[in-house]
Amino acid sequence: MKVCIFEDDKFEQLYPLTYLRPTFELKCGAIKLWERISRFYKDCEVIFWMREVLVPVFKKSLERVNEPQLLNDDVLCINGRFLLLDDNAPSLKGDEEIGIQGDSIVYARINKERISGKTVANLFESLQNMKTVLSKKEVNFPLISYPWDLINNNGKAIKNDFEISGGYVLKGELHPQSCIYGDSKKVQIANGAKVHPFVVLDTTLGPVIIEENAQVLPFSRIEGPSVVGKNSQILGATRIREGTSIGPVCRIGGEIEESIVHGYSNKYHDGFLGHAYVCEWVNLGALTTNSDLKNDYSSVSVYVKGEPMDSGSTKVGSFIGDHTKTSIGTFFNTGAVIGIMCNVVGSGGVAPKFIPSFCWYLNNMFSKGYGFRMQVETARTAMSRRKVELTQEDIALLKYVHEITTDAREKMVKKSRMG
Amino acid sequence: MTIEEVAERVKKVVSKQLKVPVEEIKDSSDFVKDLGAESIQSIELVAAFEQEFDITMDEEAALEVKNVGSAIGFIKKILDQQGKKNQT
Repeated sequence: MKVCIFEDDKFEQLYPLTYLRPTFELKCGAIKLWERISRFYKDCEVIFWMREVLVPVFKKSLERVNEPQLLNDDVLCINGRFLLLDDNAPSLKGDEEIGIQGDSIVYARINKERISGKTVANLFESLQNMKTVLSKKEVNFPLISYPWDLINNNGKAIKNDFEISGGYVLKGELHPQSCIYGDSKKVQIANGAKVHPFVVLDTTLGPVIIEENAQVLPFSRIEGPSVVGKNSQILGATRIREGTSIGPVCRIGGEIEESIVHGYSNKYHDGFLGHAYVCEWVNLGALTTNSDLKNDYSSVSVYVKGEPMDSGSTKVGSFIGDHTKTSIGTFFNTGAVIGIMCNVVGSGGVAPKFIPSFCWYLNNMFSKGYGFRMQVETARTAMSRRKVELTQEDIALLKYVHEITTDAREKMVKKSRMG
Repeated sequence: MTIEEVAERVKKVVSKQLKVPVEEIKDSSDFVKDLGAESIQSIELVAAFEQEFDITMDEEAALEVKNVGSAIGFIKKILDQQGKKNQT
């Protein structure tokens, strides 16, 4: 039996987080959505299916991507938006079946005879066609449909990760003048990790996971459930509140609450980030701050596919695409959506709730910035500082996103000039 | 629009954006070396030219323009290409 993690047609609902990655590469808890699935079905070969435009980039890291010839066995196809917690997963055993939730295919258990040797150009479309032939079952599983779903489930996912990965670990350095406040067994401090003096790890609400070679500098306080990823640095006097995941190779300072920083991003200085998802290669300038609660405590609207949508949640921060930079003193409104490769310069006021990809926001005006080529060069420089190469495949994907976001960008520039 | 009209309006935009008296702005003035434009102001200048002349400029090509005289020529060419000859 094989497991195939597929991306369905709802990826646009997760923009800007999914411009440069398939839905299942999003992070919730300590790991990515696909890693949660793969961990559960650990004895199965896992293959992947995603938008064709992403394949050249992800073939390198995931390897078995969009290859019909690998569908040569009984296969359990699982939607990549599935948030696998505890044991809530579809069974490998049983007759052919398709699990449906609303208009989404959650999983499909398919026999080898039905799928093997077929020409599958687009697995998701093939699954849609199988709705009429497979036994249908209405199910109720957690699916990530919108960016804030990742945030709302993050704390729960971290607790789950802590338990599944074996609970208490102390392999790194926990300085004797640091303090675990709460259950002292609710920590994981991995090899090479260092917790400096005068750090408080507060486990009263959940575990604190410090991954390999991460460092937590003095006077910081980390509330569980939280994760600090590999090779990340938590700078002095940082306040990390519950439900926060910091990915690998990040530098984090200031105050951060119930947020996910995907990886390779910096929020080096003071400033508040709450209920936010920050993609890769983002740099938030000093005092960059987002609102995550409206003053009238009403639910927050968020731009989804270019239109405002009621999130149904009163606590929603900002969603910031890859390679975006903010200047010192940038303020984001509740539920702000900032595209990829934006440059947002704080001008004293609150930035707009929606900034299209590759836009500059400067002196309260939108502009196209210094052009695609220069933005790519800036990305190359930023990545090389962390010894990561910007490949031709990455550039081709960026170019594709630049093209599909042109209308939104030009519309905003024009609107801004009309005052 | 004549080249003289373009030049006058370009210099007014430059004066307003970079806060330099218009009489100090020469065709030979380099935006960075002589007029003190920072990188962010260059972006603002391109946006201000687009707004002033109601044109669309390729941002990479526009940022290759280093002095006021070149900007005047660059914008005149775009105005002609984009059919904005009679704009006032």
